[in-house]
Parts: sequence; structure tokens; C-alpha cells
Amino acid sequence: MSIPPQQAPDPKRFEVSKGTLLFDRLMTQVIRCGGIAVILAVFGIFLFIVKEIVPLFSGAEVRPGEVREQTGERPQVLGVDEWGERPFLYSGRDRITFISATDGQREEVEIPGLKDKVITATAYDPVNRRVALGLDDGSVGSFIVAYQTEFADDGSRTVKPEITLEPWFQVSVGEGAVKALAYGDGGAARVLVVAREKGLAVLRLAQKRALVGKPKLALAGTDDLTSQVNSEILGVAASQNGQAVLVADASGEVRYFQSDAGKVSLIEVFRPFGEEPPVRMDFLFGGVSVAMTRQGGEQKIFSLFRPEGSEIRVFGETKSFDPLGSGTPVFAPNLRNKSFLTGAGGRLTLRHLTSGATRWEGEAPFEPVLATFDGKSEHFFIAAEDGRIQGYRLDDPHPEAGWRAFFGKVWYEGGSGPVYQWQSTGGTDDFEPKLSLIPLIVGSLKGTFYALMFSVPIALLAAIFSASFLPHDMKRVVKPAMEIMASLPSVVLGFLAGIWLAPMVEDKVPSILLLCLSLPVSALLVGVLWCRLPMKSRRLFEGGREWLLLLPVLGVVAMVAWSLGPLLEKALFVYRDPGGREIADFRLWWPQATGLPFDQRNSMVVGFMMGFAVIPVIFTIAEDSLSNVPKTLTAAAAALGASRWQVVRSIIIPVASPGIFSALMIGFGRAVGETMIVVMATGNTPVTSWNIFSGMRTLSANIAVELPEAAPGSTHYRTLFLGALVLFMLTFTLNSMAEILRQRLREKNKIV
Amino acid sequence: MPREDFIAVDHFSFFYGAKQALFDIHMDIPERQVTALIGPSGCGKSTLLRNMNRMNDLIDGVRHAGDIRLNGSSLYDPKIEVISLRKRVGMVFQKYNPFAKTIYENVVFSLRVAGRNGRRELDEVVERSLRSAALWEEVKDRLHESAFGLSGGQQQRLCIARAIANQPEILLMDEPCAALDPTATLKIESLIRDLKEQFTIVIVTHNMEQATRCSDRTAFLYMGRLIEYGSTRQIFETPRQEETEAYISGRFS
Repeated sequence: MSIPPQQAPDPKRFEVSKGTLLFDRLMTQVIRCGGIAVILAVFGIFLFIVKEIVPLFSGAEVRPGEVREQTGERPQVLGVDEWGERPFLYSGRDRITFISATDGQREEVEIPGLKDKVITATAYDPVNRRVALGLDDGSVGSFIVAYQTEFADDGSRTVKPEITLEPWFQVSVGEGAVKALAYGDGGAARVLVVAREKGLAVLRLAQKRALVGKPKLALAGTDDLTSQVNSEILGVAASQNGQAVLVADASGEVRYFQSDAGKVSLIEVFRPFGEEPPVRMDFLFGGVSVAMTRQGGEQKIFSLFRPEGSEIRVFGETKSFDPLGSGTPVFAPNLRNKSFLTGAGGRLTLRHLTSGATRWEGEAPFEPVLATFDGKSEHFFIAAEDGRIQGYRLDDPHPEAGWRAFFGKVWYEGGSGPVYQWQSTGGTDDFEPKLSLIPLIVGSLKGTFYALMFSVPIALLAAIFSASFLPHDMKRVVKPAMEIMASLPSVVLGFLAGIWLAPMVEDKVPSILLLCLSLPVSALLVGVLWCRLPMKSRRLFEGGREWLLLLPVLGVVAMVAWSLGPLLEKALFVYRDPGGREIADFRLWWPQATGLPFDQRNSMVVGFMMGFAVIPVIFTIAEDSLSNVPKTLTAAAAALGASRWQVVRSIIIPVASPGIFSALMIGFGRAVGETMIVVMATGNTPVTSWNIFSGMRTLSANIAVELPEAAPGSTHYRTLFLGALVLFMLTFTLNSMAEILRQRLREKNKIV
Repeated sequence: MPREDFIAVDHFSFFYGAKQALFDIHMDIPERQVTALIGPSGCGKSTLLRNMNRMNDLIDGVRHAGDIRLNGSSLYDPKIEVISLRKRVGMVFQKYNPFAKTIYENVVFSLRVAGRNGRRELDEVVERSLRSAALWEEVKDRLHESAFGLSGGQQQRLCIARAIANQPEILLMDEPCAALDPTATLKIESLIRDLKEQFTIVIVTHNMEQATRCSDRTAFLYMGRLIEYGSTRQIFETPRQEETEAYISGRFS
């Protein structure tokens, strides 16, 4: 054998080719970029959500304008146009003073027909900018301050005031000068509440349409309420729609009269502050709530609500605010929402009715006696005793937001007590949005709970069976089948649940109850009998094929249980109707027995269907971790004489527990975030109830249903994002806790 | 009088699916002696060992022909539960495999699965088994600590203690020293020599010196066939078959 001649070794043999190095470095960078991009994307989504939410929790922004000089007269009415440009002051004479908020220019305008009238009382309705006047001879009238907005060619805007006098009416009731009055403008039907030195009357005015010309306002009737009030009348108030009239007297009593269908009737007498009368009664936007303020600044909100079992709405105290302090209280309702400006002795606060929150607080440069909002809720003005006025620019896009509104119990207008409620939009502009997230959180947890209650036992037992008992060839079929099940679009499941399953199981509840009971019990019974069988017959089905024997048994049991359902219903779930007839119907029995409603689209249906979506997820992950338990351990346990079940229980499950745990958590995450099934199968009623036979609305379904119709940037829109954040935090905290627990378990059951 | 055919392998053949792993093995293994199974990798010695407590049942698609009898009763008797059969046979694996439990719980596992939970009995079993496995002095103060805190050799002796806790008749060892260092190996070997007082031991080994050091009988398997079976001294000093001689002299492995 000849040795080949020794050649000088190639000096390049230790070098790495440039291409290899380049590719290696390129891939490192590509992977790094991809990874960082994913992390940034997730973080970016989180930031976006937070950015949408933050404005909800910031208070109102208020910037004061300049103080305009005094008129020297004590003003009785302060009003402003909708742009907040030309406020006016009226001090009960025949002139009205307009002041420009931009440059302070003053303009005096004569009011025709007031020349030699003695005005003894005024009232102001900021919505129609109507000043109601009461005279010393007992007649009442009103004028409207209108602003004509003209746009010049360059886009600049000029606001021109225009004053229209309305007809005078002589009050036939009582005697003496008019002391106090209130005007409620319900469009066609209006009321004028007039308190004279002696006597109290409600004038009902009707807008009569004429064939030609403007509609005419005429007196439709006068109601004499003098006899209904016992002591001296201190103040009157009427709601915007003219249906509610409040009269406060010196004894501290407030009377609520309802004007309805040409009739004024006393509904309720109440004492907001005991013996002491309120100094102010101001209706809030919507005319359902009234703010009562007494000397010293204590402020309470009374809202119309229907007490349990009553058909008539009465006023009840729903909220009370911190005292305003000493001084003359001022009050101005916002004309766009349920917030209001109030204050006393130079301090001003902007409060919100629903959440009870203080949106802004500030110090006025003088002690105001009057305050008003503009029609767009962008400005408010205050006026001092000496005729000085100051304007403020207001920026408060989300007055109804706040922790209390989202997570607290709130007594809404018209409700009979504080509740958690979600009702984001209503039919009218003066609707009070109910933005509590609690019903949605409860809905999410409820759907998840029932889905997991159904799916966890099935998925885990199936995973254990497949991993440790099922023969290999069958497992090769079962596992991919389950994985295909996981890829079923949830909209299909939701559709099935809503259209097919819900109507089908609606009248089969007793059958389902029987099934839930009889299937596990019969499976256990088969197990017991199996042990009694002689070895020879057991051999036939050994090695994980025992289920072939179990299957027909379960089928027969299921059929029997299904058909026995109506019998069970007849025996146990009998509804007795008011006539004494007995009807065997679970749907009627359940509300009677538990007091909870029964809906066709209920949590049971969702539990089943969402369970179907969750089962494959839990199954696949749990099965993997159970299968991955080292064979050396199971073999050692088997060699020590442990039965299959003992091996599973004492060796496989403890070692696989971290994996099983993450399977459960991923299943939980899937169920919490699941949207389509719950949208289609729950009825989407945001109820705060754990009743299995009622529907629910989940956070995710809420976003899916309402986001398309929420105006971007509105409170509603941002609140939906808040719901998204809550959902995110819910899964995030639970997953973090689960991860910590999982690490502990893994540490405990670590294999070398 | 110890029985000569305590384990009787009677014309035993074994198949993994279509592949035949053992061909008509016929041998008697005597009571309270150490019998070593040697042979090159893939010769079927582990398969034969694992059939002695039907561990191969855990694998899908296996079948067999012939019979194995333990102390006169067939392993494949349809009236016998495979679980109760395995309780007669302890087994020690190539890689030490204690459970993720305490030392104490590892030893008493076989009693626990049999439903024997008496505190005093378990304590006695733990001490006796650990003493038999020559581990008692090293671990008696930390019985309730995790078994993973022990060294490799200690873990393997723990596995031996675990295997003998229920006092089986037979102890099967599948290359028990393959994952251990020489010192630990020597300890295990001397332990094997002590244990044969109580148990019939079958050991699979790659290490021929180990076979000479601790076995009484040796069987040489090659390509799934039993080539030669006799006393260890005879096999190593005067092998009758050509393949045996070739193997023990290191001409193939």
C-alpha cells in the first residue's frame, strides 16, 4: 500500500466562506428585527388603547377670560348666545345690555312695550333664551332674545341680537304683584307658574296654529293652586317640558304638581332639608332631576322615579353633594349634558349629576350672583352684583366619565335605587348614558365560567384518556380530529348555537339535566361491572379498546334519559298559573321557583357552544404535556406494579401539571375573549346576574356590537376602549398569576 | 433447595410488528443466582429481559410465541393480572429514574399503589430497603427531601431500593451501571453480589468484566438468538461457540 505524496495543506481550510458569514449575520438581524417589531406592535396596541382612554379620566379644562366692566345695576338675568360671544344682562327695566366677550364693547337695546311697566319678578329659560316677566299688577309676559348669526364672505361671523316680545297675560287668580314665576316650554303646551303676593296659579298656554302667519300663543286655562299651599311661597320652578312644577314654601315643604293633559294635580309633598326651605330649585338638563340648594350651600339632587309597586313618578333624593360654603349660591345647568355649574361666595364648581364627580373647581374674581352656559357647552359666564361679568372657556368632552360611573353603583334618573347598568345610548338627546362596566365584566366571567364548567372536565378527561389509555393507532386519528375542531370558525358555532341549538334545547332542559347526571353515573357503573367480569371476557376489549364497550351503553343511556325528560318535567317542574292550572313546563317553572328569568338564548347554550370552541384548545395542549411525560418514569411505575390509573394519577398528572395548567389558562383566555359565539347566542342583554338560564353581554361582544356606531372620540367610544383595556388586564393578570403558579409547579415536579 | 428453572424461558419468540426480535429462546434461570445477559447492541438481550415482567406490553403492535414461566406459573396465563405479575418482579433501568417525590415516597411507591399505607410498615420497609441497597447511612437524615438531590450513583441505588421494597422474587437490571462512573459502578456491583442472597437477579450488561465480576451464569445472545448459555466461568474461559469467543475476545461488539 502506497502512501500518497504529502501535499501542502490548503491554507484556506480553516476559513469560513464569506457567503456563510453574510447569511448568518443577515438572518440574525432579520430575526432580531422581526422579534423587536412584534414586541413593539403589541406594546403599540396597548399604548393606543391607553391613549384612547386617558381623556376619560382627565377633568374639565377651564380657562377664564377677561372681566368686563360693571353696568352699575344689579342684574337679574344673565344670558348668552350659543357661540358664547355676546352675553347680555337684564336688570328688570326696559333696556337690555349686550356685552361683547371678545372686546368688552357694550350695547344697550331698548325693549319695546316695557316703558312704563313695573317689573317685580323675572325668570330665565336659557334653552329658548326667554326672559319671563311678572308685573306689579299681576300680569305676566315674556320676551325672547334671539341672535342672528351672519357670515361674511371672509368667513368671519357677526352675531346680532334681536328681541321679540311675546303676548301678555293677566293672571285672574290671587292679588298683588307677581313675586316669583317660572316658564316651562314644552313646545305646543306650555306652563307659566305665577306666585303673587296672594295666590298661586298655573297658566296653561297653547300654541295655536293659524292658516296664515305665525302660530299664536293663547291662554288655554288657569289653575288656581292657592288653596294647596299653606305658607308663604318662596320659589317656583318648572321643568323644561312644562310637565313638572315645584313650589317651595316657608315651612320647608316642596310641592310637586304635575301638569298633564290640561290638568294640574298635586302629586307629592316633600321636605328636602327638613324645616328649612331651599333657596334654589334648578332643573337639570332633561327635566327629570332638580338640584335643591339651601342656605349654607348644602346641595341635594332629587330625581323623578317610580317607587316599587307604584305607577306614579315622584321625586326622591338620589344624590347629595358637598356643601358649597357660605354666600349666595349660584347655579347654571349645562344645556348639553347632565353637568352643572354651581358655587357660592366666589367659589365655583362644575359638577356632574350621574357620577357625582366634581369636574372642575376654581375661584371667581368676584362673588357671582348669576351664571349661565352657552348652547354648545363651550363657555360659561358669571355676573356680579355690580354688573361685572366674566366668561370662561370650557373644555370638558367627557363629563359623564369617571371611576364611579364605570365601576360604581350609580342611582340613575328614573331608577329606583343605585345599580350597575350599561345602556350607552338612548332615544333622546337628554338621555343619561349608563356606562357601568360591571355588567359586562360579570357577563364575560359568567360566559367563561359556564363554558369552562362544561369544557374543562371533558377536555381534561379526554386528554388523559388519549395520552395514557388510547391505543396508538386510534390516537393518531383522534388528535388531528380534535385539532380540526379547534379550527372551526366561531361564527359558525355561534350561528349554530343561536339558530339551531338554542331553540332546540329551550324546551328540553329536564332532558339535559338528566343527561348531565346519567352519562357520568352510567360510565362509572360500567366501570364497576367491568371489574366484575371474568378475565377471559375482559381480554377481548383490553388495551384501550374498552370504550368500544362503553359507547353503546352510553348511547342507550342517553336516549333513555332524553326521552325520560318530559316525565321528569311532569314530576318535578310543574308551574301553577294564577288560575290554579298546572302546567309541566320548565320554562315557566324556573321563574316561579327561583324568581329569575328564563331566556331562550341563555348561558347554558353559550356554555355548550363556547365549550366546543374551548375543548380542542385545552385538549391539545393538555394531551401534549401528558404525552411528553418521560417513558422512563411511567415504565418504572408500571414495573413497580402500579395500575394504569395509578401511573396516571401519581406520576403522569403531577409531572404534566404545569402543561395542564397552561392548557386551562389558554382555554380561559379563549373563552374570555370569544366574541362571535356570545354575540350570536346570548341575546346581549347586559344583566348583572349569574342565573344560568339568562343571557349576558360580554366585554368583547359589547365592543363588537357597539363600536361600529360609536362616534370616534366620544365618551361612548372611549368607554368601549376602556372595556377593551379591562378585558386585556383581566387576561393579563390571570395569565401572569397562572404563569407564576406554573413555574412553581414545574419547579416542584421537575425531572432531572 | 433453590430451583434450577426459577425463570423458565420456553421456546420464546418475540415480534415488534413485522420485525422479529427474539428467535426461539430456551433457557432456565436458577433461583438466587445472578444471571448476566450479554451480547452486542441490538441482539435482543434487553427485549428478553423486559419480557420477563411484560414491560413490552406497553408498546403497541407487539406479539410473542412460546412462554415464560416464573416459578412454574406462566406469564401469559389469562387468569393473571399483569399488575400482580409485575409485583413479583422488580426492575432497575439503565438510566436512574426516581420520581419527582421525596426519597421516602420513592421507596414506598410500590406499597402505596398496593394500598398499604400503615406508617410503621412503611418506615420499616424504607429502612430495610435502603439498607439492602446500601444507601441507608447516606440518606437516613434526609428521607423527606427530593430524590433529585442525590448523586447519580445514589439515585440508581435508590431505584434499586425502590424495586426491592415490595420484596419481589426476581430483580431485573437493564444495564444498571451504564450511566454511572466507575466508583458508583463498583458499589452497585458489590450490591448485586449481596442481593443475590434474597433475589433471583437477571442483569443485562455491555461490560463483560462486570459480567465476570458479579454473575454466576452468563447467556450470550446474538442477532436475537441464544448462542450460548452456561456458567460465567465456562463462557469466558472455554466458550464452546465461535461467535461467543469472537465477542468476548473483542473481535466484534
